[in-house]
Amino acid sequence: MARKALRSNVAETPRGRSFSGVARFFLRRIALGVLTLFLVSVIIFAATQVLPGDTARAILGRNATPETLAELRHRLHLDQPVVHQYTDWLTGILRLDLGQSLVQERPVTEVIGSRIGNSAILFLLATLVSVPLSVLLGSIAALRRDRIFDHVTSITTLVFASLPEFVIGIALVLVFGTGVFQLLPSVSIIDPGRSVWLQLDKVILPAATLVLAVIPHITRIMRASMIEVLESDYVEMARLKGLSERLIIRRHALPNAIAPAIQITALSLAWIAGGVVLVEFVFGYAGIGAGLVDAVALRDIPVVQALALLIAAIYIVLNLAGDALTVFVSPRLRTSLQ
Amino acid sequence: MVGVSLLGLPGCDDREEEAQEAGRRKRGGTLIVGASGGSASDSVDPHLPLSTIDQFRQAQLYEGLARFDADFNFKLVLAEEITLEQPDRMLVRLRPGVEFHNGKPLTADDVLFSYRRIVTEPKGLGRAGLSILDLDSSKKLDERTVRFFLKSPNVAILDEVAQVFNGIAPVDFDPREPNGTGPFMFESFEPGRQSVFARNPQYWQADVPYVDSVVINDLTDDTARVNALLGGEVHVIDGLLATQLPVVEGQDDLRVVRSPSGQSSTFYMRVDQAPFNDVRVRQAMRLIVDRPQMIQQALGGVGQVGNDVFSIQDPLYNHDLPQRGQDIGEARSLLKQAGQEGLEVELLTGPVTPGLLAASQVLAEQAKAADVRINLRQVDVGTLFGDKFLTWLFAVDFWSTRNYLSTVALALLPTSPFNETHWPDDESRTAYLRLYNEAIQTVDSEKRGELIHEMQRIDWERGGYIIWAFDTFLDAHSTKISGLQPNEYKPFNGYDLSRLFFV
Repeated sequence: MARKALRSNVAETPRGRSFSGVARFFLRRIALGVLTLFLVSVIIFAATQVLPGDTARAILGRNATPETLAELRHRLHLDQPVVHQYTDWLTGILRLDLGQSLVQERPVTEVIGSRIGNSAILFLLATLVSVPLSVLLGSIAALRRDRIFDHVTSITTLVFASLPEFVIGIALVLVFGTGVFQLLPSVSIIDPGRSVWLQLDKVILPAATLVLAVIPHITRIMRASMIEVLESDYVEMARLKGLSERLIIRRHALPNAIAPAIQITALSLAWIAGGVVLVEFVFGYAGIGAGLVDAVALRDIPVVQALALLIAAIYIVLNLAGDALTVFVSPRLRTSLQ
Repeated sequence: MVGVSLLGLPGCDDREEEAQEAGRRKRGGTLIVGASGGSASDSVDPHLPLSTIDQFRQAQLYEGLARFDADFNFKLVLAEEITLEQPDRMLVRLRPGVEFHNGKPLTADDVLFSYRRIVTEPKGLGRAGLSILDLDSSKKLDERTVRFFLKSPNVAILDEVAQVFNGIAPVDFDPREPNGTGPFMFESFEPGRQSVFARNPQYWQADVPYVDSVVINDLTDDTARVNALLGGEVHVIDGLLATQLPVVEGQDDLRVVRSPSGQSSTFYMRVDQAPFNDVRVRQAMRLIVDRPQMIQQALGGVGQVGNDVFSIQDPLYNHDLPQRGQDIGEARSLLKQAGQEGLEVELLTGPVTPGLLAASQVLAEQAKAADVRINLRQVDVGTLFGDKFLTWLFAVDFWSTRNYLSTVALALLPTSPFNETHWPDDESRTAYLRLYNEAIQTVDSEKRGELIHEMQRIDWERGGYIIWAFDTFLDAHSTKISGLQPNEYKPFNGYDLSRLFFV
């Protein structure tokens, strides 16, 4: 009846036009994303120039003399005009050449390669655990609204949402690393000689920190969204029709409740990409966060640029994916793009 | 030949005893080290070791012509003879039969190549010290012999030759493929994280190393490092903080090794700028410091009291100088004479070493008794040693263990690259420089000692440094390993891991 009519509406629209509407939307978003990355690179470069000192000073430190500084600066092309340095780097990027690390004097890809892998594993683990868990917790809290489970979840998520992630990290170390239960390593020094997958015990605590930092936000949105859906007309209609609660949740409530949750999830995951900086530092985990901190301290501009752009790109991609998923899941938005 | 000749011939008895000891020791195992001070700028290059962990790391792979032993005495290593034929002429004869890790024999060409590389590389730590060599006129006499000429006479060249960052690399050296003569060979290296080295079976010293391999982990965070030792993830660490001593000493299966070094913690004042251009003010400042108290509060009681003069470990150090202590009365009197009662001055400080920041606060506190107000301005290390370094009026610094004349060359001459105090002052200049120029040409150590004593007396009476302590390195290790001895030069058994073994 009503449902059938809706479907036939959609079928009548020529496929080509609906596809190109969506495609145009995303192409525009991708173009904006690239522009954003370019702007980010300019800002980061400008920021590194504003910092006191340069790479040569940072490397030579206390042992710098005017002579050795000049020689090193010349070798690293730091005596060239600033704009020149930026355009050199930019032309390199356009050729997909990330340049040479100023500090280690070898390709940036070599310097950050394994770090990216390590952070990716951390990111993956944190995501795989936090997303399903928060959806579950939020849904159950909504279903058992105002009962004990809901109250406990509400307070717990509030507490963790307000704690800075390094506090969570240190607390985890105290409980599981050095203090109460000495179950897990207190520092996450990955042996670069062996695969990270063989050393997952070192990844657990940093991943747990990220999970605990992110779950509260997704859970609360999921709960709110679920509550709103459960109170909606069509769910009430389905209940009146006599459908089982389980079917209602699976077919009607969940898909609609998820849409707002997708946005916050995408944002949270993007936050994780940046949040690794602090967490990796607390645990001594050799990922891109720690790599970025080191690179900034030593003014290793090509590495700073590469990592900053990576994190920015992850942000942009995740936002885009979040939007794409939301459109996919919401028929209303899909049709409005035609 | 006027020279001083140093020959490396250990006594026969010692050799036998050592061999017996060595025979009894257990061989094998992988030694895991947790070291401080690393970063992404780490390198395994023998000539660019800018940080302490770099110096430590490359010392396993490379060796120099000589080194300093546990008591900071000069000891021959790759050279079997080093003779100062004249104060500006040094003859070096290499030990026969030494090979690099790839089998290439050590020759005189390698020595010349290495020293040339050091003085032309901007990141080379040994550059300032070895610059006194005239490498263009220096000549190889045969496969094992080099005659070095110096640009001007300077017996302190021997100290430079023994520095850990002046190791010998082969002529065809590729920095990406480490190749030295040392007890360990390169396996892998990840800057800022870990290096792995394997035992050198062809090492020219018999019987060592005992362990099969060494893994050096960068553990920059002080807490993480001691946690790694407590958790059994590493066998030995350096840079233990005094505050962590109780934790480690309370464990039955851990030991602490204390190494009183010549590394000095200092405050320094510019002698050419008010108010410190008046020697009475400088003397007053030095009398304000209660040194034992400062060591107790800033270094957790671990360290030797300093007497405002460098190089306590130098065999020629002037131990006759009266140890300066706190004398507030005299300090006030001097300030009054100089018209600087109620002096207020800013001290630039930062976490150069953990103790220096705390010591600055202690100094400010102690100064109040003399009616001196010290305002602390804390900056980061990059700023302290940045573009304005060498312009500061009153700041903090530390100096690595070096003999006196080497330190003077770096810090206390008008030509010194790091003359933070802008020394000498007008009154001392003539005498001080005359003494220095004579000392560096005096091969006889007793005569040189007398000259050094006079220079140090001038430092003590009129200088711009407040050297309140000499640092004691704290290493800690599991009882599973043995062989770690106190060492006046460097932590980690003077960077010599070849003599450590599992029990």
